[in-house]
Amino acid sequence: MTGRGRHRRTASPAHFRKGLLGHALLFAAALALFGADATLGWCATVLNVVFLLFFFRHLAFAVSAARWAEKDLDAPLVGVEGFTPSVAVLVACKDEELVVDGMVSALLSLDYPAGKLTVVVVDDASTDGTGAILDGWAAANPRLRVLHREPGAGGGKSGALNDALALVDAEIAVIFDADHQPEASVLRRLVRHFREPKVGAVMGRCVVRNGVESSLASTIFIDYLSGYLVNEYGRQALFELPAYGGANCAVRTDLIRALGGWNPDTVTEDTDLTLRLLLSGRRVRYDPSAVDFEEAVLSSSRFWRQRYRWARGHQKCLRDYWRPILRTRHLSLMEKLETMLFLWVYHVPVLCGLGLLLIVLRAFGFGDSSAIEMLALSALLFAGPFTELAVGLVLGRVERRAVWMLVGFIPAFGMSILTATKAYFDGMWGTTYSWSKTARSGATSTVAREPVAVP
Amino acid sequence: MSLVTRRLERTLVRRASRRMVTTATVRRRQLVLIEMLLAVLGCVGGYLLLIDWARRFEVSLTATILDGLGVDRISAVLGDSFIVFGPGYEPVVAEMTASCSILTSVLALAALALVALRERPQVLVGLVAASLFVLAANQVRLILSLLAGRYLAIDALIFFHDWVGAAINFAYTLIGLLIMIGLTMYDAQRAEQDHTGRHTADRPEAWARPGLGHRVPVETSAETERTNVAAILHRRILPKSVSSRLARRREQRRVDYRVGHESAGRRAVIVRELAAKGLGVHTATLLAVATHETDPLVLDSLATAVAARQWEPVAGQDVISLRLWARAWLMRAPQQDAGVAPTGRLIAVTGAGGPAGVAVIKALQAAGDHVLALDANPDAVGLRLAGRAAVLPRADQPGYAEALLTTLDEHRPAALICTVAEEYAALTPLTGTLARLGVRTWLPDLNAAETCLDKVAFAAALYQAGVPHPTTAWNAATAGMIPGPWVVKPARGRGSRDVVMVSDPSDLAHAFATVPGAIAQTRLTGREFTADALVDRDGTLVACVPRWRDETRGGISVRGTTFENPRVTEVAAATLRAVGHTGPANVQGFVAEDGSVTVVEVNPRFSGGLPLTLAAGADVVTAYLEGILNPGARLPGLTYRPGVRMARHFAEVYYDADGAPVTDPLALGVAR
Repeated sequence: MTGRGRHRRTASPAHFRKGLLGHALLFAAALALFGADATLGWCATVLNVVFLLFFFRHLAFAVSAARWAEKDLDAPLVGVEGFTPSVAVLVACKDEELVVDGMVSALLSLDYPAGKLTVVVVDDASTDGTGAILDGWAAANPRLRVLHREPGAGGGKSGALNDALALVDAEIAVIFDADHQPEASVLRRLVRHFREPKVGAVMGRCVVRNGVESSLASTIFIDYLSGYLVNEYGRQALFELPAYGGANCAVRTDLIRALGGWNPDTVTEDTDLTLRLLLSGRRVRYDPSAVDFEEAVLSSSRFWRQRYRWARGHQKCLRDYWRPILRTRHLSLMEKLETMLFLWVYHVPVLCGLGLLLIVLRAFGFGDSSAIEMLALSALLFAGPFTELAVGLVLGRVERRAVWMLVGFIPAFGMSILTATKAYFDGMWGTTYSWSKTARSGATSTVAREPVAVP
Repeated sequence: MSLVTRRLERTLVRRASRRMVTTATVRRRQLVLIEMLLAVLGCVGGYLLLIDWARRFEVSLTATILDGLGVDRISAVLGDSFIVFGPGYEPVVAEMTASCSILTSVLALAALALVALRERPQVLVGLVAASLFVLAANQVRLILSLLAGRYLAIDALIFFHDWVGAAINFAYTLIGLLIMIGLTMYDAQRAEQDHTGRHTADRPEAWARPGLGHRVPVETSAETERTNVAAILHRRILPKSVSSRLARRREQRRVDYRVGHESAGRRAVIVRELAAKGLGVHTATLLAVATHETDPLVLDSLATAVAARQWEPVAGQDVISLRLWARAWLMRAPQQDAGVAPTGRLIAVTGAGGPAGVAVIKALQAAGDHVLALDANPDAVGLRLAGRAAVLPRADQPGYAEALLTTLDEHRPAALICTVAEEYAALTPLTGTLARLGVRTWLPDLNAAETCLDKVAFAAALYQAGVPHPTTAWNAATAGMIPGPWVVKPARGRGSRDVVMVSDPSDLAHAFATVPGAIAQTRLTGREFTADALVDRDGTLVACVPRWRDETRGGISVRGTTFENPRVTEVAAATLRAVGHTGPANVQGFVAEDGSVTVVEVNPRFSGGLPLTLAAGADVVTAYLEGILNPGARLPGLTYRPGVRMARHFAEVYYDADGAPVTDPLALGVAR
């Protein structure tokens, strides 16, 4: 472990225009050398192989989750009373007056020994009533500490978390977002995994709580079910490589300090941290029973912005980390393969778009038929996510009629093709992009609201 | 060393020296890979084997349907093709290709069902339904294509089949998949959340699987009345017998989370009943109890029930899990299994902070009962000694009855033992409600208790009955008329609070002024005693254990000796008869040097020196509890050993501000 302040983050270039140009030149050369039909045919074949790989990856996750996850949700806890390292709960909020009450009251009712728990909420230069509401809570509850950041302090969520981290001397930091409302047992469930010294971070499960507010939110609720109960679960069961997700997750404070804190230069600091943890030889663990409830976005424009941010940040992580991942001695060959596939996830929709384009061209008579039938494999690509979604619904014991909600995923897939493609070209071109805050609704809460005195 | 042993040794050494050890993760990965490989092989093999048969079957089915519809100019030829005469009678042969068949869709669905969902038997129904749907949809597609060729143009057949057909193919495969998944999912009765993520199963929070549905806080869940088809069906349409049979079946499936709603006492009973049917019958429920239950009373009954059924053939892995759990649970506190078997009863004890309350709690625990300790003081020590505890307002304060009933409703103890005489007045009006909650009580007649508590009334009662009692005056004017020296004390008081000894007659008036509601009695000489007594409901004296109060502190006997004196027993019995008391009591008085016995007061409750009485062999607590639980039974007389001495010492209980126990550094077995 190195001392504080040593930054191991990779400095990433501002743009990849040369890379983009390289791809274009390669394609043009192939067209010139082999002709349009053969080149398109080979492109289709390569795409088919990639799709096949991802289909079996999804299927494997679905199979492992269907086989084991249900029992995991219900498994008895062992020794959670006896193992209680000091915990600091850190939350960064900016203009969150709609949801901050629910969040704070959920945090204050967390089940953990009072002497071992600090709650720090950062008011990141909010311009609405967030700061005053937080001060009101802090006045009534000495356990809550509020840190007000000045406007222009910089760093977005990562900057706020780094400032909060500097205030605490706990062994474990647990991160939530402002719209999150954890179940009371979440700290004990997350922290139990730190008995193993190799574990650097533990991820819990996020559940959408406002599915009732719009059909998009309800679709996202089902998406989260499969994302957490199937995909994340499968990655842990088959590769021990779940991702740290940015909220409802715990990380060792000495480790995060040694790594130089959260990375303010990325819009997905969570994936970034996952990779830095793996490269430093630590592991992330996932606990599907450590649950917190969060809000899903309600309109498709907000959905677009959120997914664009995820795609943009995730794609950047691939560009930043693919070399160190291939070189590291902390991962086995299979683990490297899975990590690369994980980093590729937000590029697959781009390839899907390409595949659709090839199908259309083929319909109009351009391009050789591929070695493996294009249409059948695109269907397979659908089958993978649908299987994951289906297993997610079954594991979540959602009532039967929810199955028709899956039809709503077809336009969602289409949208993800567009967001990922835009993010890809923007990222390669180097368009400037900074943190975009997700707007909240605050209408659905899992905890009873308590009135709070605002001074 | 034999050849076999040597070879075994060699193999073991070789195996241990192997560097690569397969981890569980790698094994899981291999298992899943093999399953997926088998599924692919199954699909390919099934396709090769069945494709010709499937094509022929679908062609003949289509031809039969078209015949049935009376469509002419389309007929099946060569088994796997159609000949269609277009609008201008131009013939075309449409071959039923492999990609037109539903076989790939059905095989893919079957493989998915087998690999991912096979542990859920309902998937079979889903697969059959989905296959039938896909078959029907493909028939529609084929028929529409052929009709397009027959009535529109031959090109229309090709266009319809290739492009429109492909879209239909994709759509029906997807819908088939949804049908299969839908039928594999849970119906509203067994599901835990709806499509928006709201919890619907009505499981108690402690028993719910984490994250399966969030609970909308009560004040916002006021839902509008909706028409409930199932309710109408059950109330109006189905015959009552059918409806109730269906309800029973439904309840049986939900029993695992029905248990969680009950009170702890009831849960313990349910657990015992379920286990008594055999561990293999309700294994899932019992395992759920072992997993989620936090109440030691319920866990005790489960563990003892499991321990009692070790003869039973092990019906499955879950029974082994139960036995492992029960083993660990019963091993966790070795001092417990050396003692008595738990009775499974929960007994509430009021006044848990007083010495009588503590003595009763310890006596009950020693007899194997679980205790719910109640007291007005949150720091009352008995609250730390009992398995369960609750703080109530004082009996003379408002809200006592509500708080008590709420607490008892939550815990449902089998009986309530009151160790504070002042609470009788508040408890007596509640006996009916308590009985409805299943909490039995045995309170003395309120007049009798009042006579004991009011020293003026007590003096009058004893005077009337002719029981020796010190002469008593209840105002300053008459106080001078009784012989001195005097003891001045409150007419209603506990322990030695506000008791003033007066020797000089001129001090009497001052003592009367300072002591609230004072009475004056002639101070007695001789040896002070307390007799712990238990009076049956019919007035029979079941136990009377006199003991000398060799040394007292704060009115509590800290050193004492049991003794036998027929005169003391006689006077104590006469006193209790005079006041009409039943239940536990302690009679205090003096034995003068000439052997005459005078009674000073009676506390209509257990005494602070109770442990000595118990040690002398008169288990008045168990006898009293027996009397509470079986009101009709006659209590047997209790005997005791005279000459048993008691020397009391302090004992400590430590806890932090949250009430969590802090380890006793002096306790046995604590590492220094």
